[in-house]
Amino acid sequence: MNEDTVLKPAPDVRFRIVDGEAVVVRQRSSEVLVMSEVAARILTLADGVRPIGAWVETLAAEYEVDRATLEQDVLRFAAELAAEGILE
Amino acid sequence: MSFGHGFLRNPDLFPARPAGEPWGDRELVLDLPGGPYGFSGLSADQEEAALARFGDLRLDSEPAVATTVFRAAAEDFLEIDTRGWEYALDFDSGPSSVRLAGLDLTGRLDWRPALRGALWTPAGSALVPEDRFPGIFENFCRVLVAYRLHELGGAVVHGAAVVDGGEALLFAGPSGAGKSTVARMALERGMTVLSDDLNALLPGPVLCGLPFTGDLDKADSRARYPLRALLRLEKDTDDRLRPLGRAETAACLLACSPFVNADPDRHAALLSTYLGLMEGVPAYALRFSLAGGMWGILPEA
Amino acid sequence: MSFSEVLRKTWRDNLLFSVLVELTYRCNLDCFFCYNALGLRGERMSTEQYFRFFDALRDLEVLNLTLSGGEPLAHPDFMKLGARARELGFVVRVKSNGHALRGEMARRLRDEVDPFLIEVSLHGSTAATHDRQTRVPGSFERLLANLREVLDLGMRVKINSTLTRWNEDEAEGMLDLADSLGLQIQIDPEVTPRDDGGREPLSIAPTREGVHRLFALQARRAAEAGANLSIAHGADDGTLPAPVEKHCGAGSAGIAVDPFGNVYPCVQWRRPVGNLHRQPIREIWTGSAGLREVREITAGAKRIVDGYGPSGSFLNFCPGSAATRTGDPLAIYPEAVLRMEETEKAFGAEKKKVLLPILS
Repeated sequence: MNEDTVLKPAPDVRFRIVDGEAVVVRQRSSEVLVMSEVAARILTLADGVRPIGAWVETLAAEYEVDRATLEQDVLRFAAELAAEGILE
Repeated sequence: MSFGHGFLRNPDLFPARPAGEPWGDRELVLDLPGGPYGFSGLSADQEEAALARFGDLRLDSEPAVATTVFRAAAEDFLEIDTRGWEYALDFDSGPSSVRLAGLDLTGRLDWRPALRGALWTPAGSALVPEDRFPGIFENFCRVLVAYRLHELGGAVVHGAAVVDGGEALLFAGPSGAGKSTVARMALERGMTVLSDDLNALLPGPVLCGLPFTGDLDKADSRARYPLRALLRLEKDTDDRLRPLGRAETAACLLACSPFVNADPDRHAALLSTYLGLMEGVPAYALRFSLAGGMWGILPEA
Repeated sequence: MSFSEVLRKTWRDNLLFSVLVELTYRCNLDCFFCYNALGLRGERMSTEQYFRFFDALRDLEVLNLTLSGGEPLAHPDFMKLGARARELGFVVRVKSNGHALRGEMARRLRDEVDPFLIEVSLHGSTAATHDRQTRVPGSFERLLANLREVLDLGMRVKINSTLTRWNEDEAEGMLDLADSLGLQIQIDPEVTPRDDGGREPLSIAPTREGVHRLFALQARRAAEAGANLSIAHGADDGTLPAPVEKHCGAGSAGIAVDPFGNVYPCVQWRRPVGNLHRQPIREIWTGSAGLREVREITAGAKRIVDGYGPSGSFLNFCPGSAATRTGDPLAIYPEAVLRMEETEKAFGAEKKKVLLPILS
């Protein structure tokens, strides 16, 4: 997984942002997860078109964090979500 | 084929109750035998189409039988090539309901316990030049009236009805038996013709024409006449009358009664109805020629 | 934050989260106790209008969209609407009688709509009883066959049932039937009047004895399974009610819409608070005086129910149902009291968690 990786939500995932939190439903397993605001942002950025690098650019404009840290965090988080089967 | 498969894309979705979304909020009441018949849920275009056909029967009163017209989608129905296709309806009956399916039409008659009708159709736009609503509406009415008259102890009968001396003569027969011919001959003689296709036979027995005519324009279906005789038509080269027995009479009428005669829950009752109605009324097999001699041998008042 | 905390927020902060849409009142069954107001008239919603409505709900971050009716599959554009709902990322539930759920229809439902859950209605454990309710002979056998087909296609199904005088002796049979199919079943112990106030359905309300036997049965089975007790709850979306200063999420986190665009606080509360032909949903949601009043009423209902102490939740009080039954959304109706009493008897006075949710 790197800056050029393109990801999108898995087909059985549904999510909404409720008061800054991401409510994520995995239909196949009938599970609901609540995730942070950052996760919520990432889920909306993962459109299956723009690579992770583009997300980092977008987020860098929104969050006052140094870019290197941000990139590491985003990659790690994306990897976690992919491992969970929420992103693919 | 099971019910509805010839007309409906998905017979599983056939409405089991008279409910849905009506086309509009227009209503009209028609004075047909067995009525008044009320129709609600019509769009403005549908109301106009119904009035264009039956406007002279319009009444301002409470209906005895109410029907609601609901929307259906064109996609609910199979595409049928109507060229050379003979109009038919598919029926499924039960003791307290009748279902019908046809070209752009699904319908129900339900006795809950009083009779009420429901019609679902995608048709009804004045913008569509070949819009089917007028035909659909009329065909539904034919069925509705047939069943309503049946429950009132009467019937709808195929036949040419002619007035002579204040009484009606009913020339009965299936398609091709000569009803239109008789009607034309009667008109040429200056006689009143109630109908050359469908009639209402009511307790009395009295006869009146129904506006669902074959070749003629609009019969006057409000006028009723006592039935003098039934004449079962047989085309021939000469003119002859032969009296019919009670059973032959009832059988003839049964054969000429659309819809209800094919209803396994009701045709026995219809036979009884006819036996009762025709008690004391003469009936004949009439062989007639086109020369017009038959008028001289018909029973007189 | 946990999901129940999120739900608490939606109720507290009036964040629209769940919407139930009655697409049509057309139905291919004819259940005696159906609550639909069949005489209701109005301008139907066009498919375009529904698309715009769904877009607006997505913008409001609504998660749950339940397609209902009548029979939603009988809506001519059901597949288009369901597919759009899926595209827009809703968790789609379909409330269907299951009668047409076979063959191409079932395949299309899976392929084009991919619903989170299909909720079907069971009215008895025998054909005689089930068909007596639906008034369509053969509907029971058809339902069972279709359920097998739907499950083979890999879709998720839940069974809803309502206890009535006709089927109260078949409660155990219905639980067994659900078990044999591996499906969850929720049996509601109350029959409600029709949405237009018609009381005919109440003529088959279950007896107290029948309710008692149902609860005793459920308590016994839960104890045998060692599970947390499940008590039928009226919540349509299977979510846990979160303790908040309101009795329920009607009008605060959820709404229902009828085929004519009328918006209600909940499928059971038939007080219109707006109409989609006249106003977009966002305007109704934020500006409706009716919704403001409804939110105050649900707060009032909480105070009243709390007044019953720990057993208050056993009332399973529904302000909407109260409004239909009595005209007063805050009137505790006798059926609620019966329910509380029978629940106490079966499950004890200790306050328990309610329905095992669809979402864990």
